[in-house]
Parts: sequence; structure tokens; C-alpha cells
Amino acid sequence: MLRILDALLLIFLLVTAIGVVRTKDLLGAAIIFSAYSLTMAIIWQQLSAPDLALTEAAVGAGVTTVLFLITISRTVRREDE
Amino acid sequence: MKKGLAIFALLLLWVLLISTVVVLPPMGSPENPTYTHIVPRYLEKGVEEGGAHNIITGIILNYRGYDTMGEVTVIFTALMAVLAVLGRENFLLHTSKAEMSTVEKSIIVKSVARFLTPFIVLFALYIIFHGAESPGGGFQGGAILGASIIIITLTLGLAFVTKKLSLKYRVLFESAGPLGFFIIGMVGILCGQNFLTYLLPCVALAYQDLVRHLLLIIVEIGIGVGGGAIIASIFFAMEKVEKE
Repeated sequence: MLRILDALLLIFLLVTAIGVVRTKDLLGAAIIFSAYSLTMAIIWQQLSAPDLALTEAAVGAGVTTVLFLITISRTVRREDE
Repeated sequence: MKKGLAIFALLLLWVLLISTVVVLPPMGSPENPTYTHIVPRYLEKGVEEGGAHNIITGIILNYRGYDTMGEVTVIFTALMAVLAVLGRENFLLHTSKAEMSTVEKSIIVKSVARFLTPFIVLFALYIIFHGAESPGGGFQGGAILGASIIIITLTLGLAFVTKKLSLKYRVLFESAGPLGFFIIGMVGILCGQNFLTYLLPCVALAYQDLVRHLLLIIVEIGIGVGGGAIIASIFFAMEKVEKE
């Protein structure tokens, strides 16, 4: 059962990693990156590294996403002009 | 001539690097030096020598204390770089970008943020203080502390938070990480030991373990409070908008 969960998480990680690179929209990419970090946090927990899981969940999924979103909100989209 | 010399230098560098890579121990092999000496030592004596039941905390604060001190200093330097470019916020002059938004924030979001923030802060403090016993520690707790400040700023506004969290004290908190490390490190020197020694010989033998635990927790608090304040300050610097 846990094996299947691990496999699903890894597949989801791959999908989100490709999604971040392939998405043109920066806002969408930032949100997908947050999902990637959260998946990575669960995988760290599965690999018995709870310290890293905590860091990844707090910094990767939380703080970094907020900083990305602020940066996006303060910049102008080129394709709109 | 110059181009040929450049190509020759690059080729030489390439040959050097490739020949180094070839003789590196195979990746992930259990016979690598790290797995034969360091890991067993850490696992066998880590709790006893590191002074923390959570071996990872013992490693990052004791065996690799210099590394962690460098990391804390790097975060502090990052804050200084951000402030040099963007400047400090001032609640009289600035307001937050989220407040300027035309979208009305719902009462549910506001009340949930108000209600949850004390619990998030409590959780962060638990992670900081309990870092020596269970997973967690200064960095993780500090990030959660910073995140709680970000949540309350996004919902209740910059002026509300920066009035409560006055700049006078935040400046002190920001430097708590490197400062805590240096002060605790100097305690070791004053005791006639090396920099960053936690097991002090000038303390009575019966209390040495207790003092070491206390020093580790002080360093953790420094890292946590410092990290939280730095995250909050970077966020404030990026979020501020001039009032009209």
C-alpha cells in the first residue's frame, strides 16, 4: 500500500516538475511549484527525514511561494502590452 | 594566438576535471569513506557527543556548528542585500500591496487568520524549543514563525503588524541568529576551550550535560527568532507600497 503511495507521489512529482517548466503563465508556474514542494515534503517524510520535510513544507511551499507571488504582482506582463 | 591559448587552457582544465571525476569513489557505494567512518560514528556516539536526542540537531549544531553558523550569516546577508535594494518599510509612509487590492477580503478569511495565528506561533515555538528532542529546530520553527507573520500581514494589513512588531525590536531579533552563535561560541573560549564548544570543563561535572543542553537551546532560539524576523522583514520590504 505504501509502495503504491510512494509511486503515485513520485509520478505526481515528475508531472509537477515538468509542469513548472512548461507553464507559460508565471502565476500558474508559482502555484504548481508550491504543489511540487508539498509533494517533496511528503516524500521526505516517506524517506524518514522529518526534519527536511518540515523545512520543505514551511520554506518551499509556504514562504517561497508568497515571495514569488509578490514578485509577480509587482512586475508587468510583457505579452499584455 | 590569444584564442589558441584560451582553447589550450580550457582543454587543460577539461582534462584536469575529467581525470578528477574518473578517480572519484562511485556514487552511492557503501564502501565510500563517508559511509565507513562518519555515518557509523554519528549514529553510535551522536547522542552522547552531540548533546541532543535528535541526532540531526546534534550534528548541525555541534559536529557541523561552523556550517550552521555560516548558513545563519548567509541568511542575514541576504536580508541586508534585500534592504539595500528595496529599503525598510515605514507604517506612516507605506501600506501593503494586498490592502491596495480592489478585491474585498471576506470576513471568513480575516477571522480564520486572526484565530489561527496564535496557534501557528505556538507550534513554531514548540518546534524551536523541542528541536533537540524531536524533529525540528531553529530553521524550521523560524520559517513557520515568519509564515505566521506573513499570514497576519496579508489579511490585516502592514500598518497593523508593523505597529505591534516595532522596528526597534525587530532589528535586534534579526541579528539574533549570528549573534547567538557568536556569544555561545565565545563562552567556549572564555572557558579555555575551542570556539563553539558546548561541553564546558569549567562547569561542575554533574551540570555539564544540563549546561550543554541549555546552550544548544539558546542557539536554537537565536536561529529561530532570527530566521522568523528576517523572513518577516524581507516580506515587509517586498510588500510595501507608497501611500497616495
